[in-house]
Amino acid sequence: MPLFGKSQKSPADVVKALKEAVNSLEKGDKKAEKAQEDVSKNLVLIKNMLYGTSDAEPQTDIIVAQLAQELYNSNLLLLLIQNLNRIDFEGKKDVAQVFNNILRRQIGTRSPTVEYICTKPEILFTLMTGYEHQEIALNCGTMLRECARYEALAKIMLYSDDFYNFFKYVEVSTFDIASDAFSTFKELLTRHKILCADFLETNYDKVFSHYQRLLNSENYVTRRQSLKLLGELLLDRHNFSVMTRYISNPDNLKLMMNMLKERSRNIQFEAFHVFKVFVANPNKPKPILDILLRNQDKLVEFLMKFHTDRAEDEQFNDEKAYLIRQIKELRPIADH
Amino acid sequence: MDKKMCNINKNFDSEPGESTELEEAELNNRIFSVESDDELPVLAQNDQENPVIWLNDEDLDLETVNINSFFHRVDSDQIIYQTKKKRLKMIGKYVMGDLLGEGSYGKVKEMLDSETLCRHAVKILKKHKLRRIPNGEQNVQREIKLLRTLRHKNVIKLVDVFYNEEKQKMYLIMEFCVGSLQGMLESTPTKKFPLFQAHGYFLQLIDGLEYLHSKGIIHKDIKPGNLLLTLEGNLKISDLGVAEALDLFAADDTCYTSQGSPAFQPPEIANGLEAFSGFKVDIWSSGVTLYNITTGKYPFEGDNVYRLFENIGKGDFTVPEDIDCTLQNLINGMLRKDPGDRFSIKQIRQHDWCIRKPSKCGQAVPIPPLRGDEFHSITVLPYLMEHYYECQGSDDGEYEYYTERQLNEERRKSERPHHQLYEKSAHNNGRAHVSSQSTKRRWPKPISCISVNKFPGCKQS
Repeated sequence: MPLFGKSQKSPADVVKALKEAVNSLEKGDKKAEKAQEDVSKNLVLIKNMLYGTSDAEPQTDIIVAQLAQELYNSNLLLLLIQNLNRIDFEGKKDVAQVFNNILRRQIGTRSPTVEYICTKPEILFTLMTGYEHQEIALNCGTMLRECARYEALAKIMLYSDDFYNFFKYVEVSTFDIASDAFSTFKELLTRHKILCADFLETNYDKVFSHYQRLLNSENYVTRRQSLKLLGELLLDRHNFSVMTRYISNPDNLKLMMNMLKERSRNIQFEAFHVFKVFVANPNKPKPILDILLRNQDKLVEFLMKFHTDRAEDEQFNDEKAYLIRQIKELRPIADH
Repeated sequence: MDKKMCNINKNFDSEPGESTELEEAELNNRIFSVESDDELPVLAQNDQENPVIWLNDEDLDLETVNINSFFHRVDSDQIIYQTKKKRLKMIGKYVMGDLLGEGSYGKVKEMLDSETLCRHAVKILKKHKLRRIPNGEQNVQREIKLLRTLRHKNVIKLVDVFYNEEKQKMYLIMEFCVGSLQGMLESTPTKKFPLFQAHGYFLQLIDGLEYLHSKGIIHKDIKPGNLLLTLEGNLKISDLGVAEALDLFAADDTCYTSQGSPAFQPPEIANGLEAFSGFKVDIWSSGVTLYNITTGKYPFEGDNVYRLFENIGKGDFTVPEDIDCTLQNLINGMLRKDPGDRFSIKQIRQHDWCIRKPSKCGQAVPIPPLRGDEFHSITVLPYLMEHYYECQGSDDGEYEYYTERQLNEERRKSERPHHQLYEKSAHNNGRAHVSSQSTKRRWPKPISCISVNKFPGCKQS
């Protein structure tokens, strides 16, 4: 029994109280205001157990273990996320903090919360749909990115149908949500190199047909960001086979050549870094070679004048000179 | 051995301009005047009339030659030192600070970007020194080219590059780091880190390495000496001088050359294989690094490179008994003789030792202080202070020249209050500490000097 202040509530009590409060908040009965208050209060209690306060240390491992166990058994994490939009502003942030802390918990080499979420993937899917609700999108974003750090969870998300909703989310009109969704999207596609490479390879057609839409987006930011990410993905050695596949498709080459002529200089520049891969390819398939040959003179002329003010960027100038030389030297393959 | 040779040579072939720079680096702190009534010691000279004589073999007659006519002896108390003023030096928008370290091709100094106020380090490369190192110039150009394309929190950033054709120097401005893992290891008696600290660095190394590999870059020289730390303790992989960038369309990571440090080379290189997997070379040397920072030893040793390579080539090594078995397992996996069996980055990441966070037991090894300053305070500031606030007083400079004896006197004087300060610090922690700090900083060891011969003004009349 502590000497000062009220006696500590046990984790089981707090979890139970919070669950009841969230349930009544969900029902939306007359005591909504009281329920809201209870939710906030109990969330703060849980948060303090995990993080401590300015004058109290976090609880011991045993208490935290009990708390985690109660959270799993009561299914409270899912309930909280499902009702996140009903919880007040500070409460939403507390949910994200509690969730992320519990997620990071380790026992030796095991991450029990990760294992738990693997058995309850609804948690992930609910978080992903959070991007559809403006008032909880960013809270869900922080939780999702924390989940994406774990390969097992990232895998569930990547291989789910819901993943393709990201192509929608990154384009929404609210800038902060679109940006947040894009960073989660990027994290999922780049964090775990081998997993991502396998995913892109096995789902090549589906992913890149969706990706094409981003590159053609009306939204300048989406177009620019997705083009940049495309460059990063293709130039990552882990994605070697995806890259070779991408650069043998003439439609992709046409798209990049059009983007080289975009109004925005930034997009031109990013497009250059994808375009160069098509040209540098030592084994260009015939359709690609044909397009380049048909435009040989125009391309050389275009590249000569392309971003000539980047004089101090040696790398860029070297690459440009290399491309010009390559294109000049292109010769049709002798027909058999 | 080579390095030593270089260091010795430096004194001989340095041009006049260079030697002043050496002073600037080492002797940049002013000696403060003492209120002592001691007479100025006699600034002496023995017989200086003897000009320097070059020996001709024919003339040499050891019996008759008086040794004193070529070796001119000057007692240490008769050497005059000159204080070096903190003269503000700017290169472009960057303000120069003190020396941070020295490599085989030049110095590394601190620098401040006067526009952004970011601290940086500048590697000053001298053309003539670079030429002496095999592939020196080529390696530097390659490093610049590679670093320009890289952007990762565990890989050193190249901020800017300058050339000075007149002085034949090249300035590589990099992220500011305070030291290497090697330096830290050397500062401890056991030459190793406590597990939790080694764990933290190792994970960062693997993050950085994965990034390099994803860019098709093989570092080829991973070792504690090439892993730098920022003030915040973030690890930065540096020195891509011998790194190789794979061709974008190369089907695999086959390499044919390696110039890395012998003790960190894998068996396939030690055995002289013509072609080998590049990525697995880095895995091996990261494994040797892990072995080294956790045990304080090397898995393979040898009196000379041949013996060393012979031992590496066999691939037999032992991990000390007291290392826990998951770590042993990881090290064994990274140091498999056959590159095909050797762990991949993914396997390392998923290894139990990497996943488990070791508990924080034992004292973390701190970054060694720079010239007594454990906080690694910004060294550019005194130059700015001198330039903007103290320029009036610098002309009278009573003690612009001083002798060893004065120096010793000063030292003795300063040590006494120093001790008092430390005693005091028990009662008055914060402030006393700061002031002891500042006394410490004013005592660099002067290494270069003006000899009496060169300074006729001091001759006894």
